[in-house]
Amino acid sequence: MTTSQAVADSVDATGPMLTVRGLSKTFGSAMALNGVDFDLRAGEIHALIGQNGCGKSTLIKILAGFHQPDPGADIRLAGDEVDLARTADSHDAGFRFVHQDLGLVNTLNTVENLMLGRQLTTARGGRIRWDAERRDAERRMDDLGYQFDVLRPVGELGAAERTGVAIARALWDWQTARVLVVDEPTASLPREEVAILFAALERVRRAGLGVIYVSHRLDEIFSIGDRVTVLKDGQRVGTWNVADIDQDDLVRSMIGGEKLRPSHDRTARAGNEVALGVSGLCGTVVDNVDLEARRGEVIGIAGLTGSGREEILPLIFGAASRSGEVRLNGRPVPAHPRGAMRAGLALVPADRRGHGAVLAMTLRENCSLTDLRPFSTRLGYLSRARENREADAWIARLDVRPARADAIFALMSGGNQQKVVLAKWLRRRPAVLLLDEPSQGVDVGAKAAIHALAREVAQDGATVVIASSDDAELCDTCDRVLVMRDGRIVAEVDGARLTTEELGRLQLGMATRGATGT
Amino acid sequence: MLGKLAPRRISAIYLLGLFILLFGLLSPDTFLTEVTFTLIFRSGVVTCILALAFLVPLTAGVYDLSIGAVMALSLGLVVYLSLHTGLSTPVTAVIAVAACGVAGAVSGFIVVKLHVDSFIATLGVSQVLTGAVLLLSNNTQLIGQFPDYWSNLGTGDFLGLPRVVYMLVLLALVLWYLLEFTAIGRYLLATGGNREAARLAGVPTERVLWSVFVASGMIAGIAGVIFSMQSAVFSSSIGPGYLFPAVAAVFLGASQLSQRPNVWGTLIAYFALAFGIQGLALSTASASVWSQPVFQGVSLIIAVAVASRPMMRKLRASNAATESVD
Repeated sequence: MTTSQAVADSVDATGPMLTVRGLSKTFGSAMALNGVDFDLRAGEIHALIGQNGCGKSTLIKILAGFHQPDPGADIRLAGDEVDLARTADSHDAGFRFVHQDLGLVNTLNTVENLMLGRQLTTARGGRIRWDAERRDAERRMDDLGYQFDVLRPVGELGAAERTGVAIARALWDWQTARVLVVDEPTASLPREEVAILFAALERVRRAGLGVIYVSHRLDEIFSIGDRVTVLKDGQRVGTWNVADIDQDDLVRSMIGGEKLRPSHDRTARAGNEVALGVSGLCGTVVDNVDLEARRGEVIGIAGLTGSGREEILPLIFGAASRSGEVRLNGRPVPAHPRGAMRAGLALVPADRRGHGAVLAMTLRENCSLTDLRPFSTRLGYLSRARENREADAWIARLDVRPARADAIFALMSGGNQQKVVLAKWLRRRPAVLLLDEPSQGVDVGAKAAIHALAREVAQDGATVVIASSDDAELCDTCDRVLVMRDGRIVAEVDGARLTTEELGRLQLGMATRGATGT
Repeated sequence: MLGKLAPRRISAIYLLGLFILLFGLLSPDTFLTEVTFTLIFRSGVVTCILALAFLVPLTAGVYDLSIGAVMALSLGLVVYLSLHTGLSTPVTAVIAVAACGVAGAVSGFIVVKLHVDSFIATLGVSQVLTGAVLLLSNNTQLIGQFPDYWSNLGTGDFLGLPRVVYMLVLLALVLWYLLEFTAIGRYLLATGGNREAARLAGVPTERVLWSVFVASGMIAGIAGVIFSMQSAVFSSSIGPGYLFPAVAAVFLGASQLSQRPNVWGTLIAYFALAFGIQGLALSTASASVWSQPVFQGVSLIIAVAVASRPMMRKLRASNAATESVD
């Protein structure tokens, strides 16, 4: 796309070990990957980056034999075509994976974790040779540059050490492994532990394996990667030698060509009275955050995974334990959900199925749960007729399908589930509506409806706060957006500066052209 | 209407009909008699009340395995107080039920405040209570001294049905109303369905958990009081044996009517099992000894296996649907 693209293709060729040509994958009508080419050399760390939904997870799942590519794709290892019909095929071909959740059993120790899922050579009578296994585990961890007690439960180890165990397990059979895929290994890693992990990956690389490294943190790519490939909307933007590109180019290629979205009508801003005030808010990651939001305003919270973005709304609502103060119209809001609700707050949580609703209950029961008083008649009898009337009104207003109050929540589609969760909070007419990842796993139509609804609620005088990993969503819906990094709010963007490009830069911690962050 | 009579919804009633028909044909002289029916109803009341005691916490997603021991505590207290104090029997009954409520509150404390899994917590409490009852009775058989009207309540009939059956029906009506038609019931159901989601929707989940253990303790206490009306004899072996039939009835009952644990399903399930057991005992000479545990064990497993299938399949399907969105 740019001049640097040319550099990519002129990279000297020592014969790639893995070549992927014309890889496409469609899910229903959505195209997750569209004719992607990719290659990997032996002894190389190749970073694979792109925004959420760019297709990198699909690419990895195809290599793992989890998804089947569309016909016409060509995947070769050392020149031989490989068929990745099943996960076992992928393993046989030499692909090894370390997934983001690592897949370790926390109560077992390193030795035991390394034994999972492989054939043990046991002594007579099926007895496990514990001494030999322990020495072997120690040697393997040592090979990766780790020195720790392999008999401690994995759950007690540091995050970097756990990642090391996962790598050691993935590379159990070094001899047959050829490609190691590491999926966002540092997302949950404190920065000082990243170096330990890098040292381990460096050793893997020196052993002659190809490493595909998926990450959100661009600065890391420059300290560890040899080459980098950027995906965007299912297509390859380009592949570059890390030495030939700088962070600015990389960011531009990730979010670049995207045209600025037409902004919504931002003139309808209400007065200057501060409704929601947060001061000195602290949680696990969130560190001393202050913010203010006015009546009639939609504000956004942007940030990468691990920046505190995913924690801040539950903290304000009191769903997780916090320190610091939350005020609504000057009055303190109690630090637990019931109290926060009474004060006028509402939270649509990010984990819809786990926190948003009771799956086995009906639409009506879920909707009513937030306030049962309007339905109570004498002797505490809940009037089903009144409940149905209210549920039906919300079904009509939000266009929920199926339009049946007695539909079981678990069996509804993601978008419709989210509408029900919104309804259960909107019926309380909250003064502050907190939306955490409101359009995650939701189809395009429902997404637009949810955004329109958020605007509408604000126009009626409420304050809306949206935390989202989808920058376009924030640009479309919010009056201004606060950017979080490392637990703090580092910038505030509004007006014409509110673009996905700008948000992308600020989240990655890069200086902005012309303007500066806070 | 036809849907409401579908075998899937009320299989236990069909089962009940089948048993009555089958054993009526096999042993018409002994099975199809008033004695059999009265016997089953009279002896079933205590187990049914215990099943209701198990049902309340289960609705809120927690187990109370101490109900058998709590019932023994209640019975032991009533008998003990009749021997050692001059209190009138109804007063001792109130004391016993209150004590059982306290025992439930202890379980609630352990679960809510100490964050111990309810299964373990109530198993432990159950054992401690068994010890307390042994202490009370000195491990001997006690025979309570109750006024005549007390045992009349337990053994007498009213309008052709044992009086205790009316007590069961009254309790069942109250619980049915609370669980199905009030905010309390909705809170229990939400807590049982997803405790964290319920908490985030403003349900006072901690208070709910405390209350269900207190309620189950008191209901088990009532079971003990009714037991004392039927038999004044207390021995420390009474109690634990009642747990399993009660649990079996609740789980089999959960496959009936509303497809979640519910009051009438529990009672229907209990009596279907009871008629089957009794019929088997009467029709085969040796079966009276072994039929009960075998019958209950097999039916519990079948009921839960059958009941969990359709829901699991639906959930799996919807999980797969959300997976592919990614």
